[in-house]
Amino acid sequence: MTATSTVAPILLEARALTFYRQDEPVFGPLDFSLRAGEVALVEGDNGSGKTTLLRMLAGLLHIEEGELQWRGRPWRRDEHLGDTLFLGHHLGLKSDLSARENLNVAVGLYGNRCGRGVDDVLRDIGLAGYEDEPVRRLSAGQKKRAALARLLLLPATLWLLDEPYANLDRTGIDLVNRLLTEHSSSGGAALVTSHGAVSFLHGEPKRVRMHA
Amino acid sequence: MSLAPLTPACVAVLRRDLTLAWRRRGDIVMPVLYALIVTTLFPFALGPENALLQRIAGGVVLMTMLLAMLLALDAMFRSDIEDGSLEQLMLSPQPLALMMGMKILAHWITTALPLIVIAPLLAGMLHLPTAVMPVLIYALLLATPLLSLLGAVLVALTAGSRRSGMLLALMLLPLCVPVVIFAAGAVAAAQQGLPWLAPIAWLGAALAMALVLAPLACAAALRIALDA
Repeated sequence: MTATSTVAPILLEARALTFYRQDEPVFGPLDFSLRAGEVALVEGDNGSGKTTLLRMLAGLLHIEEGELQWRGRPWRRDEHLGDTLFLGHHLGLKSDLSARENLNVAVGLYGNRCGRGVDDVLRDIGLAGYEDEPVRRLSAGQKKRAALARLLLLPATLWLLDEPYANLDRTGIDLVNRLLTEHSSSGGAALVTSHGAVSFLHGEPKRVRMHA
Repeated sequence: MSLAPLTPACVAVLRRDLTLAWRRRGDIVMPVLYALIVTTLFPFALGPENALLQRIAGGVVLMTMLLAMLLALDAMFRSDIEDGSLEQLMLSPQPLALMMGMKILAHWITTALPLIVIAPLLAGMLHLPTAVMPVLIYALLLATPLLSLLGAVLVALTAGSRRSGMLLALMLLPLCVPVVIFAAGAVAAAQQGLPWLAPIAWLGAALAMALVLAPLACAAALRIALDA
């Protein structure tokens, strides 16, 4: 843990978080905390419940056992909404709409982070020239980039990224790392799951292991 | 950091769904063609006797609309669940029930409105008197949103299951009984020259209640459907 993260306030804290599917334990009890400015890597084998954990933290699955604190208070879904961005296996893009139209809907729902325009962000994310192409005609990597554009555009403190590196080329991976670095340096936090080797720019990331 | 206010969020959802429907306008035409063909089949099956067709015209048009709407209902949330946009909608800092209301409105505009537009044509084909036509349109204008709202709740409830299409029909059709009774009752009363306002008012009352309750139920059902 670096010197800056020890003074930063704890954003998210999980105590004995456990998840059961039909009475079979999927993961847990899990204890971890995430401070402002921290990026944590969720580690575990296939089926160990990484995606389930992120869906739970996003507020899609309800917490049956264990405790979750958000900014020092018990976690409540309606307080948490809008302060969290979830990027799942399903990218949440409408294939008949263009990347620009998809992002405009997202801005309408979530608001805008810092007044940056959609076109500006699309250029930044490497989709210049593809703004008006229907998403279904984009490649898998380009779709991923269109979904990642939400991270730049929408306001949120906590990012929950499920496999953000999948389908991306080398520059795409660098892009995700850059986004994460910028986000953490501006006081945000992120939980990231990944199978592949991840090279965060700032040395070793914090790790959350699904199995003790 | 600024959170999105309510009105732009509603507009964004409504516009998105209408744009999507427009990009796939072939799908909008399907229920309309279905209603046209089904109505055309009735005279073939029952014989082209004017008096008979006139008597059943209101009921036939109503039932055809109901079944045509049922065809399109199944797809209301399917693509949203498959591509993850429903998750994004649920996690947005907006009241989910209101967003669902917008989705239902978009669905009504794209499926029921074209059907209501061709309703006079269908009724005319079955010799419904012109004087009764406005009553039929009033009845449809109140009955179709009611069906969209009831249907949306059931679609949300069956969202997680595989074979939701048939299940949906089996669940929705019994709920349609009061809607059909009042809508057909209004048309029949008008045809006999009786006052028809009471059944229309009942439909209006039911619609007012469904407008408030159905989006809430729909949102709750979808939360449960995704929590699995």
